[in-house]
Amino acid sequence: MSDTNRNRFMLAIAIIMAAIYLFPLYWMYITALKTGSEMFATPPSFWPSTAQWNTFAYVWESRNMGRYLWNSTLIAFGSVALIAVLGTGCAYVLARYRNGWVDIGLFLILMLQVLPASLMITPIFVGFSQVGLLDYPRFAVILAIAAKSMPFFVVLVRATFMAVPMELEEAALVDGNSRIGAFFNIVLPLARNGILVSAILIFMQAFGEFVYSKSMIQNVELQPASVGLNSFMGPNTSEWNNIMAYATMYVTPILAIFVLLQRRIVSGLTSGALK
Amino acid sequence: MTNQIELSGVNKYYGAYHALKDIDLTIAKGAFVALVGPSGCGKSTLLRSLAGLESISGGDLVIAGERMNNVPPRKRDLAMVFQSYALYPHMTVEENLTYSLRIRGTKKADARKAAEDVAAVTGLSDLLHRYPRELSGGQRQRVAMSRAIIRNPKAFLFDEPLSNLDAALRVHMRKEIRALHDRLGATSVYVTHDQIEAMTMADHVVVMRQGVIEQQGRPLDLYDRPVNRFVAGFIGSPAMNFIPATAGPDGKSLVLALGQPQTIRLDRPIPPNRQLVVGLRPEHLVIAANGTGALTAPVALVESTGSTSYLTTATTPEMVVVINGRIPVRNGETIGLDFEQEHLHLFDADTGMRIE
Repeated sequence: MSDTNRNRFMLAIAIIMAAIYLFPLYWMYITALKTGSEMFATPPSFWPSTAQWNTFAYVWESRNMGRYLWNSTLIAFGSVALIAVLGTGCAYVLARYRNGWVDIGLFLILMLQVLPASLMITPIFVGFSQVGLLDYPRFAVILAIAAKSMPFFVVLVRATFMAVPMELEEAALVDGNSRIGAFFNIVLPLARNGILVSAILIFMQAFGEFVYSKSMIQNVELQPASVGLNSFMGPNTSEWNNIMAYATMYVTPILAIFVLLQRRIVSGLTSGALK
Repeated sequence: MTNQIELSGVNKYYGAYHALKDIDLTIAKGAFVALVGPSGCGKSTLLRSLAGLESISGGDLVIAGERMNNVPPRKRDLAMVFQSYALYPHMTVEENLTYSLRIRGTKKADARKAAEDVAAVTGLSDLLHRYPRELSGGQRQRVAMSRAIIRNPKAFLFDEPLSNLDAALRVHMRKEIRALHDRLGATSVYVTHDQIEAMTMADHVVVMRQGVIEQQGRPLDLYDRPVNRFVAGFIGSPAMNFIPATAGPDGKSLVLALGQPQTIRLDRPIPPNRQLVVGLRPEHLVIAANGTGALTAPVALVESTGSTSYLTTATTPEMVVVINGRIPVRNGETIGLDFEQEHLHLFDADTGMRIE
């Protein structure tokens, strides 16, 4: 097989794989636009005959989605802020100091990553209720998410810091900066992309978080969109188009943000530092 | 002349590892000092200790009259050029150059003026708005140098700054760095593993091995009178020939173990029957007709670069002879070798120390 033919073959496989992977997303979008009867038609139609745009407005109003999304955003930003502030410092220390204690610390951090949320929720719930944190349920969820996602962030950002050469910091020290100044002037700008990517991943995790929110937030007023979606789906639900419209409005903003920011992620900032 | 840097009894430990052992070193204001030695000899550790990037475990470190043992790097007012250059990749050349000034609160216009002045000297004027990744190796090297000279530090520290350049550029930059040093009237400490760099650039060469200063002095003094076998072998290229020898019973001759024992006369007395090592530099050996020289040796190999010829003898240990121009000698031929008595170095066989 010639090179061009092989390339075409590979491309075809890639497209097929991507199509399989993205099919549920496509199904979500078109189901949201279908009418009730078209939704259950056999064979299924792959393109809605008459797009039902008013479903979105109806769902937004009837399910009070604005409030749900506001809560999700609040929880996601809160978690990212907490993790970024605490995790960046932690990752830097773990990247720059090597000794037995650091190794133990890293091991414990990775251990935390292993435990699933559904296992952790019971002890967290009991603990939080004893100290009265459940009176501030959204803050309690932010804390729980931060604890859950911090290891992931620390491990990723630590790798980013390790890619920043020590000499750059030393050069800044000799040039007249303090250790802290060198961190903010030199290391942080160079690690910015890695931190940004990790923060986006954390944001998306937190935006879709369900287990902690469902367990700790009883008040509907304070629940995020993931819990709202869950309460939408009862055992006898048949209004799939409405649910899919809800899901569409839930995930499309995150998808858009991700696509927009992806350009910034791919950039070789550190090249040219050495040699 | 006043002393810019004084080290006395400096020791440095990494855990149990003794990296610097009782270093005493005085660097005069305006001197160009080279620290040279094989890798792991402690020369970089010493330089980093001067910069404050490593803390010393004992002794005194005085810069411009002030004891600096525990002073952080930013308060030592030194400038350093790193082996990897360590340019800030997210800053343009101009921002790289002015970084140290901006930290010190220099006005923006003044900093820009300073950058332009330095760039004019180092030939970077057209590159001020580029990023380090857009520069060639030689240009990056210049930026690293410029960043050091933009302020007027108490001393310049160079950590093998030329080791990433190709051979031709290295020779060129060698001269340029030395010229810059002279023009600025600066005090420079230059770390290198390349003894030729050390010999050609420095006023004062410090040869180190395993955390100890083996010898220090003017370059040609080190070449003429190495205090021990290590320094003798390290300074000079190709390296000095070493031949095991025994002093004759009269104390006026030496028996050289060159496969076949060969006897040479000596114009200075030495204790009879002492075990020695004779050192002869390749460039001090002269070819004589077979049977007329002080030594006789069969030729194993003749290599010529055109300007210089290298001859290796088939003796054990083998000897290298360097001759300017070309030599009418073929492989397998037997030749005589001669030398001046003043070029004969004697070292103790056990301690390796020089014997006068």
